[in-house]
Amino acid sequence: MKGSAYTLGYAAVLGVVCALLLTGAASFTAPYQEANAKAEEVLNILLVLNVSLPAETSSEELVEIYKEKVLEQKIGDIVKYVYSPQPPNEDGAIAIRFAGSGLWGPIKGFLALEQDMKTIRGITFYEQEETPGLGGEIVTEGFRKSFVGKTIHDKDDNVGIVICKPGSAKQQNEIDGITGATMTCDKVQAMLNEVIKSIVEEKQ
Amino acid sequence: MADKQLACMTCEPKGLCGGRGLLTLKDGAWANNPLAIQILGICSALAVTNRLENSLVMGAALIFVCVGSNLLVSLLRKHTPHRIRMIAEVAIIATFVIVFDQFLKAFYWDMSKQLGPYVGLIITNCIVMGRAEAFALQNPPILSIVDGVANGLGYAVILAIIGFFRELLGTGEIFGYEVLSGQWYTPNQLMILAPGAFFALGIVIAVFNTIKGPEPQENK
Repeated sequence: MKGSAYTLGYAAVLGVVCALLLTGAASFTAPYQEANAKAEEVLNILLVLNVSLPAETSSEELVEIYKEKVLEQKIGDIVKYVYSPQPPNEDGAIAIRFAGSGLWGPIKGFLALEQDMKTIRGITFYEQEETPGLGGEIVTEGFRKSFVGKTIHDKDDNVGIVICKPGSAKQQNEIDGITGATMTCDKVQAMLNEVIKSIVEEKQ
Repeated sequence: MADKQLACMTCEPKGLCGGRGLLTLKDGAWANNPLAIQILGICSALAVTNRLENSLVMGAALIFVCVGSNLLVSLLRKHTPHRIRMIAEVAIIATFVIVFDQFLKAFYWDMSKQLGPYVGLIITNCIVMGRAEAFALQNPPILSIVDGVANGLGYAVILAIIGFFRELLGTGEIFGYEVLSGQWYTPNQLMILAPGAFFALGIVIAVFNTIKGPEPQENK
């Protein structure tokens, strides 16, 4: 029977060796992982801004296109991603990041507005852990498409969007919700209205 | 594979694996297949097999982890205090899993996102821990590597079979290329959803056991 001191020593040595291996692997792969994360974020912004992309693009090309076409503007706490096509053959747009807590975990995404800063051009969610099949449906194209063309205020200029019961969206700022995902929809609505409010306040 | 078998045949009866290499290989991959016979590692086998590519990467991950952890556990087997051997095994397994996960995130980003938490969950995969505990602790390093390859392969091949049929029937594609034309084949969505995984796994296990035949009864 080996003594306690040996056991402790063994555990310590094994722990240190494992930790060193992990540190090595993590620091070796860190630059590649960061590049991947950057490319994905860039792709999300380009997609929500509806920038036309070539069919096959590598991550390096995406970052190039992004640097060329999208301008980052920092105003207060919010970063605006401004797309101004040169020459102006397409309509420009502005994207803003939004985040908040969903039903099970954080929800993060981008909201894009047309140049008039009133009409929604698109929306993407790049992080969510909602219930698959219910709240998780927010990432589907069908739900995201229903935002396009809506405005961020109602006809009396009251700021805010409403995600209402499925099939009952009639106003210009109302969006059809998802059946069985009322909680997720309420939370998404709240986080969108928060970011919308900050844009409107910043504009004034 | 071929090299290993050859090496085992040439170095019998007393070679690097003590003449038990081929037997160990056959035992892990066939006679005691971790998935089809021992019914271990079911969770990941159900979760990631909706596409063939995912299945193959997951299989490769398990082979890598199984070989790595078996080798290290076997090398340390005479020095590991008995009381903390399981903690030591988990630490070793976790290290290999996280290293694999990091490399996947760096060089195979899309796949890493598709597999999600299941790569990390290999740490708790009964196959890896089971082999370390049941085999590597009692056997020399090279034989333990063979055992790791055998069990990893036994898992990977079954995963690949399930992934092949689920992707083929569920989407009509293999590796994303259309195989069953959409003109006459309507993809059966059920196959890429969770129930399809249960059906596919059940059928594969049943077929495997039918081909292998019943376990010979031991006379006491």
